Amino acid sequence: MSSRVSWRTVDIVVTAAIAVAFGVVFWAWNALWAAATPAFLAVPPAQNILYGTWLAAGVVAGLVVQKPGAALFAELVAASVSLILGSQWGLDAALSGLFQGAGAELAFALFRYRRWHFTAALLAAALAAIGAWIHDTPLYYAELPLTDQLVIGAFMLISAIVIAGVGSWWLTRALVQTGVLAQFPSGRSQQRI
Amino acid sequence: MRLLEPLVPDPRAPLARLHPMAKIVAALILMLALFITVDLLTSGVVVGALLVAARFSGLPPRSLMARAAPLLIGAASLGIFNAVLSQSPVSGAAIALRIIGVSLAGMLAVATIDPTDLADALVEHAHAPSRFVVGALAAFRLFPLFSREWDVLGLARRARGIEADRTYVDRLRAFPGRALGLLVAAIRRATRLALAMDARGFGAQPCRTLARPRALTLPDAVLVAGALVVAAGATSLSIALGTWRPLIAF
Repeated sequence: MSSRVSWRTVDIVVTAAIAVAFGVVFWAWNALWAAATPAFLAVPPAQNILYGTWLAAGVVAGLVVQKPGAALFAELVAASVSLILGSQWGLDAALSGLFQGAGAELAFALFRYRRWHFTAALLAAALAAIGAWIHDTPLYYAELPLTDQLVIGAFMLISAIVIAGVGSWWLTRALVQTGVLAQFPSGRSQQRI
Repeated sequence: MRLLEPLVPDPRAPLARLHPMAKIVAALILMLALFITVDLLTSGVVVGALLVAARFSGLPPRSLMARAAPLLIGAASLGIFNAVLSQSPVSGAAIALRIIGVSLAGMLAVATIDPTDLADALVEHAHAPSRFVVGALAAFRLFPLFSREWDVLGLARRARGIEADRTYVDRLRAFPGRALGLLVAAIRRATRLALAMDARGFGAQPCRTLARPRALTLPDAVLVAGALVVAAGATSLSIALGTWRPLIAF
């Protein structure tokens, strides 16, 4: 039991490193988001279809490290990276990381940190999107009618399930095959070629 | 990929010398005051106070402006977005000014904090678990390496003809593979780093001593008190003039 719950040094450092690597990915994604803005001018809420990438760090870390708290820790570190490097959103980035990470964490907790299957990944992504929506709506879209807020939420949810859910699952499967996860329970499912 | 230049404050400036914890608490107080209301007056007073604080931050005004430019664009577009959909220019402006205040408070606090000082403060004053804080700090130091790795991966893939990098669709399609490559490199490096840390007895002793203890001083208390005064003053002024609109009412 304790080995399933307690954190080894390698768990801590790899979770944080996954988060930092995602910090780089977010940076590249930010550029894509900005470049894609004109394409969404007709229907601005639809741009949230790209939102899912920001939610992937927690889901991937949870699936890889399989420890209670991994998803939350990873989202917090990922948010701090963009924060310390001077994200224009400042300290608020940490807050949104907290909401997103708590959502993903809740999903893995619902499976009592025993199941790390496809369904858990999808649920983690969906709850992370809901956490992000709870943070974003009162801050960015407070003056919108509820229907518009829900439309934005729906786009975020779809994006989260596709990118942060299916995408994270694919990433983790691919990572297992490379053999870098030999230190982790998730790496044990590696197949011989 | 071009990373933004890090903001480097003048270390002798009044705001830069204060304790990281005091700056974070002060920023959180101002953010909370803005968070609970959507009105022009509260946001205006707080943003005004923040602009005064920026003068004492030791951050070069030009690079602060450069950093704030995307924020202003983002806040303006969110404000217009809200104004169009709620058909009220005033509430759109309130949203924009509020986002500027929330971001500026956090930006001023964070830009004047060194990551190592922040980690020390989190362990000493917030009693965060030291293994996690130091582990995260160690991983954070890998960021420049990872961003280089991202560039190298892109060049390597382009040389192999995988990543044409012409249209956005191409870039989007190449994104997952490039991210996987970066993750493999990151996990491999982190596993070795953890091994090296373990070999040096990292986390082996349940009680750690602090290498750089740092007490909170009177100027730190003054900063937090100042933030409280601004937050309370802006809110009560706004309530007195009847413009205060709490968020929960929507």
